[in-house]
Amino acid sequence: MIFADQVLFRGSVYSGVEDDLKSLFNVAVSRGYRVIGPKLVNSVIRLEQLNDFNEIPYGYGDKQAPGYYRVVNNGGRFRHGPDSPKRFLYPPELLLFIIRPDLSVEYPRFEFYKTAFFGIKPCDLAAINVMDGVQGELGDEYYRKVRENLLLIVENCVEPGDTCFCATMGTGPFAFKGFDVAYTRVGSGVVIFQPGSDLGVDILSELSLRPAEDEQVDFLRNLMLDASKKARAEFTLENLPETLEMGLDSEVYRKIAERCFGCANCNMVCPTCFCFDVIDEPELDGSAKRIRIWDGCHSYSYAQVAGGHFRKSLYARYRHWVLHKFVYWIRQFGTFGCVGCGRCITWCPAGIDLRQVVRDVVKEVETRCRR
Amino acid sequence: MSGNNKKAKLAVFKFSSCSGCQDKLIDLGENLLSLIEKVEIAYFLEASSRIDPGPYDVALIEGSVSTPHEVELVKEIRKNSRIVIAIGTCAVYGGIQSLRNWMNYQDVVKQVYPKPEWINSLEKSTPVSDHIRVDYQVSGCPVNELQLFSVLKQVLTGRRPYHRLESLCQECKRGGNVCVMVSRGIPCLGPIMVEGCGALCPSYGRGCYGCFGPMIDPKPDALARRLEEIGLPKEEVILRLRGFTGWSDPIRRFLERYERE
Repeated sequence: MIFADQVLFRGSVYSGVEDDLKSLFNVAVSRGYRVIGPKLVNSVIRLEQLNDFNEIPYGYGDKQAPGYYRVVNNGGRFRHGPDSPKRFLYPPELLLFIIRPDLSVEYPRFEFYKTAFFGIKPCDLAAINVMDGVQGELGDEYYRKVRENLLLIVENCVEPGDTCFCATMGTGPFAFKGFDVAYTRVGSGVVIFQPGSDLGVDILSELSLRPAEDEQVDFLRNLMLDASKKARAEFTLENLPETLEMGLDSEVYRKIAERCFGCANCNMVCPTCFCFDVIDEPELDGSAKRIRIWDGCHSYSYAQVAGGHFRKSLYARYRHWVLHKFVYWIRQFGTFGCVGCGRCITWCPAGIDLRQVVRDVVKEVETRCRR
Repeated sequence: MSGNNKKAKLAVFKFSSCSGCQDKLIDLGENLLSLIEKVEIAYFLEASSRIDPGPYDVALIEGSVSTPHEVELVKEIRKNSRIVIAIGTCAVYGGIQSLRNWMNYQDVVKQVYPKPEWINSLEKSTPVSDHIRVDYQVSGCPVNELQLFSVLKQVLTGRRPYHRLESLCQECKRGGNVCVMVSRGIPCLGPIMVEGCGALCPSYGRGCYGCFGPMIDPKPDALARRLEEIGLPKEEVILRLRGFTGWSDPIRRFLERYERE
């Protein structure tokens, strides 16, 4: 869990009004950023390039549950939709190179823009930090090129959704590191701003903000504590990797595999799933394109290799996904692979709840140990 | 098939079908022109009246086998062709006309034709692979012309054709669609159907009706249960699954069990 004080006293806290958000948006635009933010498209909150601050559908809320998503025009607060920053940093389909009949190789030239994410949630900020850990300094070049010029403006979550569990994963609902600017719409038109980097300080200096008053900081602290109580799963991170490892043979995975389709929607919407397939597309002139596309560990062909298949059963594929996020990842990269955004829960067409799966495996192991 | 400059002889045959998949080949437009540089179209009645008796390097077969005559014909084509590719859902799974496979054949003939005694067809409409060895299959109702082109390019450049057989959901999400089942409660067969169409129906806000057929390792049990959970009556679930590719092995085996439950 993130302690409120950790968030509030790291940097200065400033107070402004909703018009200041618009100014913040315009500062990003005037500094040459293409701004990506939430937009209402066909009754879904998408992440898209925004041309105008007013495209952000403030005042809309959403209802999210396992396998269920609806936007409601209720004056509420919307959460993150199906898209995550991954789509922009690590595109679903990317041409790697073209190889010519004389075996010369031609690399595509991409245009890279200075990109600002406006109003993404702390879970997605955390996901970018997790992806940074995976890509490292030698990682995917496309990723690094976009990442280099990223401006991260994060909206803290006052009302986490029903599939959120960032507070359990320690990634939210308030941002505490790795952002440039964080803001909180605390209600009654008041917005609290916090810079998180030198760039953030510089950008906020263009706005006419006042230092927040003590009562405002107290109020914000209470909001944070309340929100943190909501975004929870029924398990904790304490000894989680070890516990899950003891539950390798858990019946829970086999039960889930009876409901799972193996469709990999969870992999696609996950803001940290980075697995890919490489497709070669030969052309009639003797050249060939090599293309990278998103793939996921729920795919049957994913674990199919020359000489065999090491995860033929769906339960083994599902289990691998869970263990990768909560066990292997932290050993390899030092963070959990899951940021608790809950997209895999909302967007699972089978309505499977990852939180329950982890909880049930943990319970099963604990019961076994007590015996 | 690479390594020489001789053009490969391509033949396109039609069996019981609507000709839509052959038309998809013509839909290739400019790509068709580049294809013609590599192949000689030896037999393709939908496009040309020229008939080259073969043998052929590559034979594309559209349509299901549904008459005694077609059983003989498909065997001839096999003997006369080096590579046989079944194109379209009729040729790959039996097609919509295989809906009759679930019913009494005599009843169906009487319902459709005023003079059923003139009809000489088989009781069941079956895929080409039930009758001959098929080298490759490209499904779809109709096929996706770019996927068909991709397979042809791979065959013609001497590669063993490959396309992904994973769920439609993956192609759908890579293409930037939002799940219609989750966001609108629209029943969709995408989670058990194969990618390849470009997620055409979900791109227009409709659920997939499964015309490309099952993905690899499909889970029709789980999907049927979920469709019932979101409010689709069981009879509707059955009709949807039967519709286009119900005669494919995994869906048929499931339906035979599910209908009795």
